[in-house]
Amino acid sequence: MKARDAKQRGAGGALGGRPRWQTVLIWVVTIIWFAPVVWIVATAFKPRADVFSLTVFFKPTLDSLLAAFSPPYLVGERLWNSIVVTAGTLAIALPVSTAAAYAFSRYRFPGGQAWPLILLATQFLPPVIIVIPLFVVFKNLDLLDTRLSLMIVNLSFIVPYATWMIKGFFDALPPDMEEAAMIDGASRLRAIWEVVVPVALPGIAAAAIFSFVVSWNEFFFALVLTRDHAVTLPVALMSARTEQGDAWDIMASMGLFIIAPMLLISRFVQRYFVKGLVSGAVR
Amino acid sequence: MNERYLKYGLLAPALLICAVTLFYPLVQSMMYSLHDWQMSRSTVMGAFVGVSNYVDLVLHDPDFMGSVWVTLIFTVPSVLLTMIIGLALAVLLAGSGKLQVNARMLLVIPFAMSPALIGISWRFMLSPEFGIVDIILKHLVPGMGDTPILSNAAWAMVALILVDVWHWTPYFMLTFIGALASLPQETLDAAQVDGAGSGRIFFEIVLPQLKPVLAIAILLKTIFSLKMLDQVVTMTAGGPGSATETLPYLVYTTAFRYYDIGYASAMAWLLAIVMIVLALIYSRFTMERKP
Repeated sequence: MKARDAKQRGAGGALGGRPRWQTVLIWVVTIIWFAPVVWIVATAFKPRADVFSLTVFFKPTLDSLLAAFSPPYLVGERLWNSIVVTAGTLAIALPVSTAAAYAFSRYRFPGGQAWPLILLATQFLPPVIIVIPLFVVFKNLDLLDTRLSLMIVNLSFIVPYATWMIKGFFDALPPDMEEAAMIDGASRLRAIWEVVVPVALPGIAAAAIFSFVVSWNEFFFALVLTRDHAVTLPVALMSARTEQGDAWDIMASMGLFIIAPMLLISRFVQRYFVKGLVSGAVR
Repeated sequence: MNERYLKYGLLAPALLICAVTLFYPLVQSMMYSLHDWQMSRSTVMGAFVGVSNYVDLVLHDPDFMGSVWVTLIFTVPSVLLTMIIGLALAVLLAGSGKLQVNARMLLVIPFAMSPALIGISWRFMLSPEFGIVDIILKHLVPGMGDTPILSNAAWAMVALILVDVWHWTPYFMLTFIGALASLPQETLDAAQVDGAGSGRIFFEIVLPQLKPVLAIAILLKTIFSLKMLDQVVTMTAGGPGSATETLPYLVYTTAFRYYDIGYASAMAWLLAIVMIVLALIYSRFTMERKP
């Protein structure tokens, strides 16, 4: 484990430069970690024959993508389901979480500071415990296999996290801000909307990125609650496992659509998503 | 007056959502766990059976005990490896050099990937005929022979653990980089001036100061490992046999393949109790650190 030298050199790295073995090690690690992602994306553009023969050099084609869009895979519909569910979840979760975060940050409640933490702690429970009763409820309400049911379950994990994240940002803002606006005659609600929310926008954006990533990638709830109409992209992956064997070309095409947004926002993902997961709790 | 309504009004929608999607299901599944309910036979909950589901699980169910064992075999190595490699990578990639910054950005992509996609992708890359990783491994590791990796009980578990480590390490690496950056620079400088080697500096000065962060990280990763499910579904489906049948997966199949709702709920709650204990320890940590 020579890696341990890096920190000290790294700290003064701008001056001294790093030793060669360290540069090599960084390259090796990065390639090992990122190569599988490249391989999957590349597979999506391979001719079908090359998918099953391991060619490294190939002539890119859109055949697999086109096949994925036609029956029985219907990636277009799955993609639309994913978009609607994610957009709907965010549209509800963000205003609700922002309001709750403000309340937790500025007012005292019976039970005090424990509430947001209790909400966060529920997320440590296995999701399977929540999905059994929700399955029964949705079955009784005839809501199984609908996008609405997916939005509702997604809220169960996004609202607690987003509230916790945004609360952290509100906590850092001085309360005099909205109080000054209120002295000028604005109501508390208007002061929040016009003074506090704009300043806290980076925090709300961070929560939005986090919620987007989690909701877009969500698999287990959708697996249990959907069969056909409301199937989202991650669950559609399972349909590439057919009786004639696994259709890896189709799988990779679906995977491409699941990864694409993450690649596009990767810069923000590092900054916000990672913070969101435990949101400062570790620092 | 007005303020008071506002304060609860702002909170109400979030609490309503949590009540419906979190608290109600938790109470309800606790109820199910105390009843007999085969959903394949009846659409309504059956007779009250007290704690007999729990008793059956702990005393008479070899599948459950086997699954507890599988969960432990998965959890312990996945936590340890993630911590060790995460720490090593944090030290390697902590700087602000262009190479390090770009490497961090690429490394974090696997973490933002859907766990389901991760499972399927690795199943593909490990598949015996067309799997690139399968072929590379069989050239590198002499003793592997022709065993398809995911059809061999031991190798399937190793694969599941390593894929999980691949998924989570970038996240903990970034956490540790954040912690390294907040260490006081003076002690490091002083040690360097005293001529301490970088190995000694790391183990005697850096590591002890990281202890609180490491403790929380280990706790969190343990919780994440205990609830890991998506990759089991997509990569191994619990197999071969029941070699990778972790607890969450057993709950899932009991509830949604055999529709034994009462029994599955009891199993889920036994798992949840372990998590609650861990979560309580976790919140104690965070409460202390944030006065």
